[in-house]
Amino acid sequence: MAIVQGFLYVLNPLHFPFLFLGVLGGIIVGAIPGLTGSVGIILLLPFIYYLDASTAIVMLCGMFCGAIYGGSISAILISTPGTPSAAATVLDGYPLAQKGEAGKAIGVATIASTVGGIISTFCLMFIAPQLARVALQFGPEEYFALMIFGLTIIASVAGKSLIKGLIAGFFGLLISTVGLDPVVGYARFSFNIPNLMTGFPLLPVLIGLFAISQIFIQFEEEIMGKKVDISQQKIKNVLPSFKELKDLFKVIIPASFLGTFIGIIPGTGGTIASFLAYSETKRWSKDPDSFGKGNILGVAAPEAANNGTTGGAMVPLLSLGIPGDVITAVMLGALVLIGIRPGPLLFREHPEIINAIFAGMFLSNVLILLLGILSVKLFPKVLKAPSSILFPVIFALCFLGAFSLNNSVYDVLITLVFGIIGYVLRKNGFPVAPIVLGVILGPIVEDELGRALIIAHGDWTVLLKSPIAIFFYIISLLSLFYSLKRQFPMHPKNR
Amino acid sequence: MGKKEILVSIFFMILSIIVFILTFRFPKQTVALSPTAFPRFISVSLFSLSIILFLQGIAGARKSSRPKEVNKKQYQEFTFKLLLMILLAFLYTRILPIAGYILATPPLIAGNMLLFNEKRWFWVIAVPLVTTFLLYLVFRMIFKIPLPRFNLF
Repeated sequence: MAIVQGFLYVLNPLHFPFLFLGVLGGIIVGAIPGLTGSVGIILLLPFIYYLDASTAIVMLCGMFCGAIYGGSISAILISTPGTPSAAATVLDGYPLAQKGEAGKAIGVATIASTVGGIISTFCLMFIAPQLARVALQFGPEEYFALMIFGLTIIASVAGKSLIKGLIAGFFGLLISTVGLDPVVGYARFSFNIPNLMTGFPLLPVLIGLFAISQIFIQFEEEIMGKKVDISQQKIKNVLPSFKELKDLFKVIIPASFLGTFIGIIPGTGGTIASFLAYSETKRWSKDPDSFGKGNILGVAAPEAANNGTTGGAMVPLLSLGIPGDVITAVMLGALVLIGIRPGPLLFREHPEIINAIFAGMFLSNVLILLLGILSVKLFPKVLKAPSSILFPVIFALCFLGAFSLNNSVYDVLITLVFGIIGYVLRKNGFPVAPIVLGVILGPIVEDELGRALIIAHGDWTVLLKSPIAIFFYIISLLSLFYSLKRQFPMHPKNR
Repeated sequence: MGKKEILVSIFFMILSIIVFILTFRFPKQTVALSPTAFPRFISVSLFSLSIILFLQGIAGARKSSRPKEVNKKQYQEFTFKLLLMILLAFLYTRILPIAGYILATPPLIAGNMLLFNEKRWFWVIAVPLVTTFLLYLVFRMIFKIPLPRFNLF
């Protein structure tokens, strides 16, 4: 079986340490408030750029899964979710820590995350190849429609204001138009500056928008005195009893499937999945009043669900080339940078990469269990990492990472400029994830549209002739409608 | 919603107008997709969305109650330090090709540590030196990236 080759590849002593480092780095990045999985992936890019594609992607998978789990640690210990998807874990995790059961809460979060991740990986293994097989039939017009659907995810990751999210998305698309156009090769908006002729380099743009702007935000919090108080938590009794485990699995299994299903739907992500799993567990519980006061099921359900989204979100990313949420949008950028274009062709042309991803995702979750249980007593120390050392070091790493791609100081300058742009936009309520989606998907949309029109001799009606394309237009409209409905609820109760 | 939205929307409106005007310099393409089509579509959409944000800003400014209370002294300190941080980073991009990676990076890290209110001098000296050495080791020795060297001419 091909998947065995994937496992053999990842377990090779030359490759396994990279997975291990990825998971460990992911847990640390996820646990530290202010550093999300997206930032972790971006910080990892300069290091993996020089590895072979399979090893690089395996390390990225480790970082992805580790960061989603790591978010639960700070959620439980200091009531601050390390990643947005761990927000629901705070509700019962922190009350448990206050009762002196932080160890048990982390132990259950670790088990739930592992099970959620493994179940979602199995779903990824079965669903993604089938979806890719269908997508192999697509021509340029279908791809164009698919990418339009991908762009509507901008509305889903827009945050509090749909208008601001859309403006950010179009700003990202605008950034992507700088440089050679994909159809005739004309250098747009380059003003005869050689560096601008190739457009803005993706890595410095990503580092600037996510990492540098985050450093500025952390700096503001530090100066303005909004620092989180890290109290001392004692970690003991990590593993639940067998009876407790039996009850927990009644929640973990359905929450894992729920998380996987939510993850597959583009534009959703771990936050929605974890809150949905939490509310459903509370609704079906015999003792709903105990939720919010330290019910261990209130930790298990969101953690199983948010790690369940990891494999789920990889389904559209790998098989169709469209990201499911913010972190997979950054993953898409990372894959493009290391020379992998996700999509159905990846399954046909590079099955070894796909198998390495499947094995890497599975083993990442096993490592989460081992690292989570064995290093649980070190977690409070990770949270005490002084920001006055951490962020200046990350700052230097960001600049070095930006430089290393093309050995260019210009790229370092671009990183700084986009860091300032990202900071200003974030301070004014504009999310940066839509910018990244615009920057990544913009050239693909234009390229596919150009190809479709060349084949059809400039006949624009070709875009509406394919039933598959029409299907994608319809779900794009539905996706937009859903986002609009969420922003402007019609029901008087929600107003 | 309020003044901020109005200012940002005006910025995006101006940007989209400039982009639209610049597209007239592009060559015309009759077959398939012209280089002007995509930027024009984006600029028109951006302009339309900016108008909506502008209107939302005006409505918000009318409705808005008291602004959030911010400690002015702290905010001024932050703004000054942030500008210093940006200036330091900008100087780094200028000095890096001349002074080289090993000489230019420790002052950047140390400066940022001081801006982050690090007061322990041992750490302010040790962390930049160790970090620079480790990063140099990884990127220069392992990844074989030609990092900038000291170069006066």
